[in-house]
Amino acid sequence: MMTGRMITRRVLVYIILGAIGFVLVFPFLWMVATSFTSGRAIFRLPPRFDLMFTPQMFDNYVTVLRDYDFILYTINSTVVAGSAALGQIITCSLAAFAFARMRFPGRRILFVLMLATMMIPLEVTIVPEFLLMMYLGWLDSWAPLIVPSFFIGTFGTLLLKEFFENMPIDLEDAAVVDGATSFTLYRKVYMPLSKAPLATLFIIAFVNNWNELLRPLLYIDTRRLMTLTVALTTFQSEYEARWNLLLTGSVISIIPLLIVYIFMQRYIIEGMTHTGMKG
Amino acid sequence: MKSGVSRWYKPWHPFIFVGPLIIGLFLFRLGPMIYAFFLSFNRWNIISAPVWVGLDNYVELFTSDRFLSILGNTLRYSVTYVPLVMIVGLGLALIINRQIKGIAFFRAAFFSPVITSAVAIGLIWSWILAPRFGILSYISRTLFGINTPAFLAQSATALTTVAVVTVWRMSGYIMIIYLAGLQEIPNTFYEASKLDGANAWQRLRYITLPLLTPTTFFILIISIFESFKNFEIIYTMTRGGPGISSTTISYSIYQNAFVFYRMGFGSAQAYVLLGIVSIVTVLNFMLKKRWVKYQY
Repeated sequence: MMTGRMITRRVLVYIILGAIGFVLVFPFLWMVATSFTSGRAIFRLPPRFDLMFTPQMFDNYVTVLRDYDFILYTINSTVVAGSAALGQIITCSLAAFAFARMRFPGRRILFVLMLATMMIPLEVTIVPEFLLMMYLGWLDSWAPLIVPSFFIGTFGTLLLKEFFENMPIDLEDAAVVDGATSFTLYRKVYMPLSKAPLATLFIIAFVNNWNELLRPLLYIDTRRLMTLTVALTTFQSEYEARWNLLLTGSVISIIPLLIVYIFMQRYIIEGMTHTGMKG
Repeated sequence: MKSGVSRWYKPWHPFIFVGPLIIGLFLFRLGPMIYAFFLSFNRWNIISAPVWVGLDNYVELFTSDRFLSILGNTLRYSVTYVPLVMIVGLGLALIINRQIKGIAFFRAAFFSPVITSAVAIGLIWSWILAPRFGILSYISRTLFGINTPAFLAQSATALTTVAVVTVWRMSGYIMIIYLAGLQEIPNTFYEASKLDGANAWQRLRYITLPLLTPTTFFILIISIFESFKNFEIIYTMTRGGPGISSTTISYSIYQNAFVFYRMGFGSAQAYVLLGIVSIVTVLNFMLKKRWVKYQY
């Protein structure tokens, strides 16, 4: 039974939660509202909601997607983030399998090196990385956006290593008796049983690469190769006062992630908490 | 390895598995780190050949007022961001740590800024905070009759504003980690304290906070690291301005290396940043014993 005092308390909790939720979600709502407003009406205060929700409310979207190539940028971001994330699950699962199940010289030191360099900000290594990419002739291509995250993923390696370590070792014994080598074991036993953590890793890597700005900004010059983040900042410098178009572009850049988030939020949140690394 | 057990892999197999990781580690982390160190002793504009200048870059850094204020900005940003995000994150976790209807929805909503790009968030907030036409300035005018300052266009407020926007973005992340910590505290502690007549504040002060110290330590470390990685939000919201009032080392490295083409000078700054990160980490671990309690 809930007493009167408990009910009051509960109502109070919901009011607080609602207020915080409002503060955290309002900017998104305001962005969407602005994206529905046309032309100079965005500078009208107080905001006129009757001017926002009109038959023309999607005009900005048409403009941004068609005239400013945001369809192309969305595709670019998807391809770049998708390839980088795919690389992450390959590299990380391979390394995690070795760390979890095999003994080899240098195992400890490699693991420690991986952890120790995890915290180094990208800003520290970006100058030599840029020179390397220049030397390889990879400037103004997607390779520099994909290859580094393809080959390195501390977070994913940790996540999968722990998962593999907790898998019953009997599985392995049975497979080995059947004459499986390490590669078939990895491919036929470990991978199929790790769909959930692999999906988690894929999504988190996808989100991080999708949101990345520094690398695309440095490496991409050609407009048609740009990802959404760099397209937005370029757009920002070129059309500073066209907030409705700029925010429409932002909404477009958020929507794909939001859809993934709504369906997969449990995995994303748990995955990010798990080893405590966002990147 | 015992010889009796049949090994299901050849001794060289593990190296194939960790091969890609080793390549990545050397090409994109260790290699660049070492090369940046070498570069920091050179003057190089990428076009002509690099010139060895010894410690000149470092001397220039620490004798220039410009860099000293950039250093100051970097620390000011961290000092604003870290405590705020930790307090707000803990507050959110304490509020959301209860089994009531709809709590999953609130948790997901509070976390949503975390997965949004710094660029999109920078743009939204620049629009909200815009002087005259921004919704915040409008609200403040109508409710309180005061004009809001031009948050991002004033030297006095630009950096703090960016730091606070980042707090808004990241507090959901801190919340989730604190939440995991809170859920590990055995309920018996709270039950016992209730019998002893402890009120909510005393329970927080004498049970929750002490038992959370390992989580707090972990969060402190990652928040400090996070606070140095502020290039994206600064690039989007202020481009380091007005003047250099919101330029941090992160931003300055980008600017020197890729706008002014001073590769060596940029690398020297990268090493100052690395130095700061290392010192803070070592200090943290040294001070850890004093306040982190692992025993229940």
